[in-house]
Amino acid sequence: MDKTSHPYIPTLLDQLNEGEISRRDFLRKSTLLGLSAGAAYAMAGIIDPATQARAGDLPKGGNLRIGMRCMEIKDPHLADFAEKSNVIRQVCEYLTFTDRNNITHPYLLEKWDVSDDLKTWTLHIRKDVKWRDGRALNADDVIWNLKRVSDPKVGSSVFGLFTGYLVEEYDTGEKDDKGNPKKSSRLWSDKAIEKVDDSTVRLNLFSPQIAVAEHLFHYPMFILDPKDNGAFGPSANGTGPFEMVEYTVGKGAKYKARTDYWGGAAHLDTFEFVDLGDNPGAGIAAMASKQVDGLSEADAVQINSMKAFPHVAVHKVETTQTIVMRMHPDVEQFKDKRVRQAMRHALDRDKIIQTVLLGAGTPAEDHHVAPSHPEYAALPKWPRDVEKAKKLMADAGHADGFELDLVTRPDPIWELNTTQAMAEQLKDIGIKANIKSLPSAQYWEVWTSAPFSLTAWGHRPLAIMTLGLAYRSNAAWNESHFSNAEFDKLLTQAEGILDPKERSKVMEKIELIMQDEGPIVQPFWRIFSTVMDKKVQGFELHPSQYIFAKDYAVASA
Amino acid sequence: MAIFVAKRLAMMMLTMVAASFLVFAVCEFTPGSVARKSLGPFATQEQVDFLTKKLKADDPLLVRYGRWAGVLLGIIPDPLQDPSTGLNFKDPRGAQYFGNFGYSTLNKLPVNDVIWSRLGNTAILAGLAFLLIVPLSIVFGILSGLKEGGVLDRLLSVICITFTSIPEFASGVFLVTLFVILWPVLPGTSPLDSEGGWSVPSQLVLPVAVLVIYDFGYVARMIRVSMIGVMEKPYIRTAVLKGMSTRQVVIGHALRNAMIAPFTVLLLQINFLISGVVVTELVFAYPGFGRLLLDASLFGDIATIEAATLITVAIAVTTQFVGDLGYMLLDPRIRLR
Repeated sequence: MDKTSHPYIPTLLDQLNEGEISRRDFLRKSTLLGLSAGAAYAMAGIIDPATQARAGDLPKGGNLRIGMRCMEIKDPHLADFAEKSNVIRQVCEYLTFTDRNNITHPYLLEKWDVSDDLKTWTLHIRKDVKWRDGRALNADDVIWNLKRVSDPKVGSSVFGLFTGYLVEEYDTGEKDDKGNPKKSSRLWSDKAIEKVDDSTVRLNLFSPQIAVAEHLFHYPMFILDPKDNGAFGPSANGTGPFEMVEYTVGKGAKYKARTDYWGGAAHLDTFEFVDLGDNPGAGIAAMASKQVDGLSEADAVQINSMKAFPHVAVHKVETTQTIVMRMHPDVEQFKDKRVRQAMRHALDRDKIIQTVLLGAGTPAEDHHVAPSHPEYAALPKWPRDVEKAKKLMADAGHADGFELDLVTRPDPIWELNTTQAMAEQLKDIGIKANIKSLPSAQYWEVWTSAPFSLTAWGHRPLAIMTLGLAYRSNAAWNESHFSNAEFDKLLTQAEGILDPKERSKVMEKIELIMQDEGPIVQPFWRIFSTVMDKKVQGFELHPSQYIFAKDYAVASA
Repeated sequence: MAIFVAKRLAMMMLTMVAASFLVFAVCEFTPGSVARKSLGPFATQEQVDFLTKKLKADDPLLVRYGRWAGVLLGIIPDPLQDPSTGLNFKDPRGAQYFGNFGYSTLNKLPVNDVIWSRLGNTAILAGLAFLLIVPLSIVFGILSGLKEGGVLDRLLSVICITFTSIPEFASGVFLVTLFVILWPVLPGTSPLDSEGGWSVPSQLVLPVAVLVIYDFGYVARMIRVSMIGVMEKPYIRTAVLKGMSTRQVVIGHALRNAMIAPFTVLLLQINFLISGVVVTELVFAYPGFGRLLLDASLFGDIATIEAATLITVAIAVTTQFVGDLGYMLLDPRIRLR
């Protein structure tokens, strides 16, 4: 451990040795504070999965084909699906990398340092990274990318993540049609993203933020060559292990491995994505006739029908991906918190997991903090209790129940199926939910304004990331209109606490508030799954559905 | 003849104007802004507003329709290709030319770059299917129409009706189970490249089979009805009574007359095959026109939907024209004016 390490790391190490925190907590915390992942894994006495994959004797050469939707990829900073970012991910890279254990490593960075107050983040860029055109990656490239996503005119979803610590809201001085002052957002200061030297960038935040390293791995946060001006395509420059040689929207992508990649050449010679469309049957058929070697995602139903194929291996990973049924507490029917409680007691979670996910899930506890999150605090479980729920409904003045529209979307199909299963169980306590299934595009127009709806939330390595985005008063993605001063205060407190033990004490209070008066009913956490041909080696399913083809290899038949 | 062609062309123009305007108007009433769909659910409202302005999607309906028509006819350059918008939209053909279908907001590419190869793929699929549907349905139709209610008629009718009533997605899954999983002799999907280990022709077998199974029975039934009608005509009875063989009667007298009505039906199948193959394309992941149109409609990509509309109108009018010429050949009494 060198002298520049964060002063808190020795304390963490003590806690690990005393058994007060788990290995996973230690890894997460110490890497967060700038300790290299390799060193952290070594201190914790376990093998770093990043080096483990590399160390293995994987076969060289060959072509790998993975079935996945191939949509437009015009501007990587605007990628709004894991699929789109997977196409770019083979060519362009991130500053950091969060692995399947929710531990964040440096990627294009050598390391990062964090100040004690979590307001100054110093990013040290690797000096050995070369763009495909031969130029070395430098601080100006990184700054250009960070500034670009911080411009609202560009339209990147990283912008929303940066809001609150790098990006601030300000009054434009103009008035809109209704006479209200017009608000806009911008980087809070010229010094917010600062160049220290050619390979060092400093982020100066106006409020403490613990998840900066995780945010730098948000899927559109690619480091692009400023010369390409944000555009992407087969000729685009990149620091990554592959060069894209062909791309046809709706058909597929083809890549060729770079021999001069800074991280050591990929095992594969070539790599491909093949667009199989939206029909789940096409994925099964393509696997059956070996037209693809794997799929980017396969749901429980697809996997069930592929079980009998002798050449297919199933891969699974626990995620913090979930779906929440959320209510606007300002709507007449949901005003009384006892109604929301009753709905939480009305669910038989195991049954939903069995019917909808064919068992590929773990029960959730209505507070949007997963057992795999480092800050999780265990609370007593709630079994289904219809009598108790009915009593709560009666106490709230809804003894006869009520009828209300429930907004959802038809794809992916598990979302609609979950909605139906939950609506069916709510009938038992007198709530008649009329399911209104809107096409995805229309659904995203109303997702924050519909009083009663279901929303899927993606995998995030930290619970406070989601809680801050979705449940803090007036947060950009606060779809439930939940507003609770005590909750906000505790969340801010939790975001500043480094000690996992101390933090989970605060999280326990937050979780209790969510169970008591929170706006959601949450049935499960998803187990994410896919299939690969058995000849594919080095494949580890990432909980965010990310494909890193450089780590994979194919055994020759 | 010239007047007839001119009339038909004028009709086609009129239909195109009406159809394209209707599509614009209908899209107006589908909720969901293109800017929001482009940026995804997690963009802030401010970001969405900026993109809406850049795409000029907040102009009134008539202004946007006028601009679209102007760009199509090459009267004005496509404003979305103006570098000052920062959209990075660039068409290698230039911003102003006749037949500029504009920029697809779904694919972020010029519509002309995407739509023609997709249409070509679907034309291959539709063409092969049509080549099989015509002879199959004619043979089945004639054989069962020769003697209404006969054993052969009953047998063929059962086959035709059964096949026609199986929806494409069902027969698709059935064929995949049979020929891909149980007896693996054919590929299960049709990405139209041979790198998955299957040749392109082998990838066409199942999709074409699904289309033929679905469609030929219906056309055969039409031909059968027409054939029955002709076989009851006095001139057929005369021919039989004067001692001609059945073969001579059918080929010399019945066939040509029996084909007039089914001819229209056959030509209508071309329209169906071009724009109605979406289910088959989905089942086999076939990169065709139908799937493109489905994606564009769900996204509200108006430039692509409009281009597809105009192309299908043109195909429909052309087949109709061919139909009229065909009538003239089949029945000398019909003259075009």
